[in-house]
Amino acid sequence: MNVGAVLDPLGAHALEVAWLVAALAPASEYGDRTFAALRPFRPGQEALAHARADRVRALADDVDAARLDALRETIRSAPDVVTALARSSMGEVLDDVAFLGLQRFVDAIAQIDVLLAQGSVVAPLGCAALHEIATLLEPGRLGRSAFYLADAFADDLARARRAAADAEAAFEAARGRAVATIARALGRDDLPPDEFILMRDALPRQLPLGVRVVREAPTYLLCSIAYDDATQSALERRERAAAAVDAAEERVRSVLSRAVGERSAALAHVGELLGELDVLVAAARFAVAHRCTVAALDDAPVLEFTGGRFLPLEARLTRERRSYAPIDLALDDVAVLTGPNMGGKSVALRTCGFIATCAAFGLPVPAARARVGLFDEIAWLGIGAEGDLGGLLSSFAKEVVRLRDTLARPTGRLLVLIDEFARTTTPHEGKALLVALLGALRERGAVGMVATHLGGVARAAGARHFAVRGLRGALQRVPGAHLAGALDALAAAMDYTIAPVGDDAGASGDAIELAAILGLDERLIVAARAALRGAADAFE
Amino acid sequence: MQVGGELLAAARSVGARSLFVIGTGKNVGKTVTLRAVYEAACAQGVAVGLASVGRDGEAFDIGDAEPKPRLWLRPGTVLATATSVVPRSPASAVLEVSSRATAVGGLVYLRVVVPGYFELVGPPTARGVRDVAQRLLAYADFAVVDGALDRLAAVAAGDDAIVVACGASGRATMDEEVAAVGALVARLRLPAYQPSADCVEIEGALTPSHAAALIAAGERRQIVVADPTKVALAGRSAAGALARLDLRCRRTLKPIAVTIASIGRTRSFEPRAFIDAVARVSGLPVYDVYAGMRAA
Repeated sequence: MNVGAVLDPLGAHALEVAWLVAALAPASEYGDRTFAALRPFRPGQEALAHARADRVRALADDVDAARLDALRETIRSAPDVVTALARSSMGEVLDDVAFLGLQRFVDAIAQIDVLLAQGSVVAPLGCAALHEIATLLEPGRLGRSAFYLADAFADDLARARRAAADAEAAFEAARGRAVATIARALGRDDLPPDEFILMRDALPRQLPLGVRVVREAPTYLLCSIAYDDATQSALERRERAAAAVDAAEERVRSVLSRAVGERSAALAHVGELLGELDVLVAAARFAVAHRCTVAALDDAPVLEFTGGRFLPLEARLTRERRSYAPIDLALDDVAVLTGPNMGGKSVALRTCGFIATCAAFGLPVPAARARVGLFDEIAWLGIGAEGDLGGLLSSFAKEVVRLRDTLARPTGRLLVLIDEFARTTTPHEGKALLVALLGALRERGAVGMVATHLGGVARAAGARHFAVRGLRGALQRVPGAHLAGALDALAAAMDYTIAPVGDDAGASGDAIELAAILGLDERLIVAARAALRGAADAFE
Repeated sequence: MQVGGELLAAARSVGARSLFVIGTGKNVGKTVTLRAVYEAACAQGVAVGLASVGRDGEAFDIGDAEPKPRLWLRPGTVLATATSVVPRSPASAVLEVSSRATAVGGLVYLRVVVPGYFELVGPPTARGVRDVAQRLLAYADFAVVDGALDRLAAVAAGDDAIVVACGASGRATMDEEVAAVGALVARLRLPAYQPSADCVEIEGALTPSHAAALIAAGERRQIVVADPTKVALAGRSAAGALARLDLRCRRTLKPIAVTIASIGRTRSFEPRAFIDAVARVSGLPVYDVYAGMRAA
């Protein structure tokens, strides 16, 4: 999945795209290849993107979850036959491991087609070439999933094997007789096939015929068995028979390999379809698991959704048995977002980026309803995207360099998500920079959102202003300052709804309330409140 | 006396369905021992599975290009080996291609249909060998594994019988080889710990430095490791620790015998003196597969 085509690494990190990639990971090597080649749809390709998302959703709706899982497991079981196909297409004679791979590939496709037959979204993968190979390899089927170059493949193979078995039996009998005679003469129950030791104090008066001394030592002899003429002749017959079997087996393999080679292009195409299905099934399972819907793909640069969710966070909260509050947003230019600390401003930006990324790859999006445009670039600036530009640059300088580079890129359609840019410089200069930035982004027709704690930015820039509603009332301090309890209390008291606001002068960060509930020393909190009141009085 | 038959019977008598042959070094007769057990099992009509740690059974030793015993396998035998060394002829039934790898390619399970020479190649890790031994038992009644001393952990999680192979190729002198096999067998025969007595639990492996510290501290309590493979001591340090510490384990192993190869590539030990010395230090039945001798 070529995420880099729409998001740079820092942006991908901020949006946790690695989570998305893992959630969409296919099950087979075929799927891996298709997945690696996936590129985002560009503006102008809305119909294609929509069609793909529609197909994913249709598969998810058409095939129940258990059957999707069965499909995935069957796809996983399909061996990668690409190399075998390439080798056979170049005239190479395949080995039996490759034939087993081909047989299991054919079986997997047949099983997949049975699973798909109950729906109508995906056409069967099987083709005439596949059925021909299945028929051709069938004599080699051994049990459920083994392959053997069986006698049934060719009459001359069967004959050669019978002759070899006879020769083997004749040799074993001759050898057995010779070894048994020697062992008896030496008073041994058996003898190793290669070399053996005879202790001198246990030697018979004369070494039996057929015993060859390899090495003499003071107390023992190292010996081996020299075959008599009859055994030697049986051995030679066995070797000749084995060579005949070898030749007959290679002839069968050659015929099979040629047949595979002639159909390699058609079979490779089935492999490609399997890869696409693998990726499609993974996307459908993703859509089901995360209740995703198909966004309306707009040819204008817009991002509008209700019930939007940032899935990596939702997954973490679900694991911790916490609830997640979806949000609604509608953007068609660059707006300003304010709100309290821990009110979900960053998550709102990430939700925008995540949904836009899903739409760009033709996936259903995590929202109850969405209307999304396609973007050439999704840029993330501010918190979480400082990167490693060298130790000499301050946080602010890193942000500026990144902004400079983003603005310098000749990007067509830009979705920009800015999280507290210029927060580390003086508020009045930071605000001035933000106002100027909003103007520049508006000029180039970007869509996006700028989250900030600085007041008056939206009004000064003439931008639309959204705010997180924030705390519903006073927070209850949690005894013992347990973080988990504090987070529960906060979640219960926080209204994460994002709504347009008209006036942004007096936005509250609820910072002191939050500090209190997170267990900061009570005296500090009291002093901070007093200082805040003093500042307000002075202002008035 | 049929050495293979006796080893097979000994393995069965301890309830094992698999047998690992562990050598004190290279060319100490592991493959000869494996083949003796294999032949005995085949003669009894037992379906045998064969595997190896790394690579064995090839005509020439990869390390020194010297001839090695070859494995002539009979119909019905199941073996795990690398796809790259599967003989084209005689063809064998390809049962499954494993997701595990060997050093020379993917791992495949074969069933011999027509007798022929085969090479065993197994996964390089102890965990991999353990899995292969387990998998073989899905196809065969009894598994024999050409093991390796440095992959001894493979037997930690199993219920296998263990045969230790030692030989003239193992060490420069007979005394050194006897001491080495004595220390190895003593490790493998580590007794079970006594819950009623005080003990010191060792997390992970007992290393030479840890053992030395315990000896220096005059530790008299039981020193308990999870299983004998967690005693990371060999030679003199193993002998010293075993003599001065009350080493125990939670899970005992099943060493059943030692085999000796008194003839090596470059030196030989006097067979009778060697077998008697090994029998004295090991306390196990000792077999000379080449001489067809046994010492208890």
